[in-house]
Amino acid sequence: MITIKQLTKTLGSQRVLQGVDLEIVRGETCVVLGRSGSGKSVLLKHLIGLMQPDSGEVWIGDENITNLSERQLGPIRKKVGMLFQSGALFDSMSVGENIAFPLREAGIKSAKEISERVAEALEMVDLAGEERKMPENLSGGMRKRVGLARTIVGRPACILYDEPTTGLDPIASDSINRLIRRLQKRLQVTSVVVTHDMRTAFTTADRIAMLHEGRIYFHGNADALNASTDPVIADFIEGRAREVEEATHRE
Amino acid sequence: MVTALGRAALSFISYIGELAILVYDTIRAMMVAPIRWRLFSDQIVEVGWRSQFVVIVTGMFTGAVLTAQTFFQFALLGMKSGTGSVVAVSLFRELGPVLTGLMVAGRVGAAIAAEIGTMKVTEQIDALRSLAVHPIDYLAVPRVLALIISMPLLVAESIGLGICASYFVGVHILGISGPFFLENLYRYLGARDIKMALCKAFCFGVVIAFVSCHQGLNAKDGAVGVGRAPTEAVVISSLAILVLNFFLTLLLNVIFPYGQ
Repeated sequence: MITIKQLTKTLGSQRVLQGVDLEIVRGETCVVLGRSGSGKSVLLKHLIGLMQPDSGEVWIGDENITNLSERQLGPIRKKVGMLFQSGALFDSMSVGENIAFPLREAGIKSAKEISERVAEALEMVDLAGEERKMPENLSGGMRKRVGLARTIVGRPACILYDEPTTGLDPIASDSINRLIRRLQKRLQVTSVVVTHDMRTAFTTADRIAMLHEGRIYFHGNADALNASTDPVIADFIEGRAREVEEATHRE
Repeated sequence: MVTALGRAALSFISYIGELAILVYDTIRAMMVAPIRWRLFSDQIVEVGWRSQFVVIVTGMFTGAVLTAQTFFQFALLGMKSGTGSVVAVSLFRELGPVLTGLMVAGRVGAAIAAEIGTMKVTEQIDALRSLAVHPIDYLAVPRVLALIISMPLLVAESIGLGICASYFVGVHILGISGPFFLENLYRYLGARDIKMALCKAFCFGVVIAFVSCHQGLNAKDGAVGVGRAPTEAVVISSLAILVLNFFLTLLLNVIFPYGQ
């Protein structure tokens, strides 16, 4: 479904991606793990053409999207939806209008069909009946759910999640994790989840890719990640700051 | 010193280049993508209707104060009845378009830059793109069209009200003869003045629209960037209006020469 070949990207003076290779199979949920600032979100934005790489290629299905123009990317973006870290709801529109937006843009005119599909999307994210609320009146978790409803209402074949649980309390995080899993089963979509939250990784992943120093450092299932004795992976899983520990020992 | 000048020149050229790309993308979007008429009408309300108070006050008080000043000078020369014509020609040729342009740049330009800038830093523009909606089609085109259409109308309204205020102040407060005031106004005011005012209004509308959209679309650095975008939009639009006005005056005096 998604193939990334030797992707590199420099932002300012920092080489964020230094030759990323990754293949995501149709129907699977791939979690991309990595520390904050490791380039996970940058990688994700390349998968939908929101960023252009310095070199390398991104394939969606059998189409190379690397050098497509903004207008040529339109049909690809109808197949690949994205949930943004903040939800990125349009704050001038109500919840219902936000979710109806992709449908109206797709040319659907029937008010009945739009309202039915909005209600269905809201029901899938456990927010049935919240159409009239404005984004400013929603909690962080609700904003992400509405963002997810807006993403799935167009029935994409693939959903990209950018830090879906960041900034949420453990219970809200767990409910988002279950929602991702449930949607994956119900809609049979391919999912790419970018996170540094180990619970999200273990709850949602079929396979896990770990991004470290601009490259894919590990790619396998959750059991293999857990069993790894590699110090970088072990430190990440257990949340150990090696430099701090070494400095403490030296002292 | 030379390095600083070189850096400033490069930065200016780069800015003009970015603006030119935005202009090209917007014109192309108008031709290849459907125009969102509902967004356009929303912007007409925002630009045209919500600017009414500012434009009315600007037009009326500019006409009134210009009448008073001109009258006091002309009275010394015994040319009181010529006041109306001087005020009208000044309003059409310079003050109407420039002052209305500056006021609209302050009100509308700042609002456009702040709104688009906020959308940029809160990932709403990326969300638009991810939903297969081109930000230029959705954000720039309706605003550019609304400003291009609203500005000439706002300038015409401002000038019209300025002349009405001038008549009121000149005839009813300063005691100029009404028929002489109007006679001189009709004699010295021509279609060329009206065309010049409308041409300038159109150009200023274009400048405000593109500068403000550009500042919004290029906002970065979170809240600081959003704060900077409207300020820079107003400053750049205002300076551009003042500089462009000089060159337009030279050009339009060739196209619509006086006395013909």
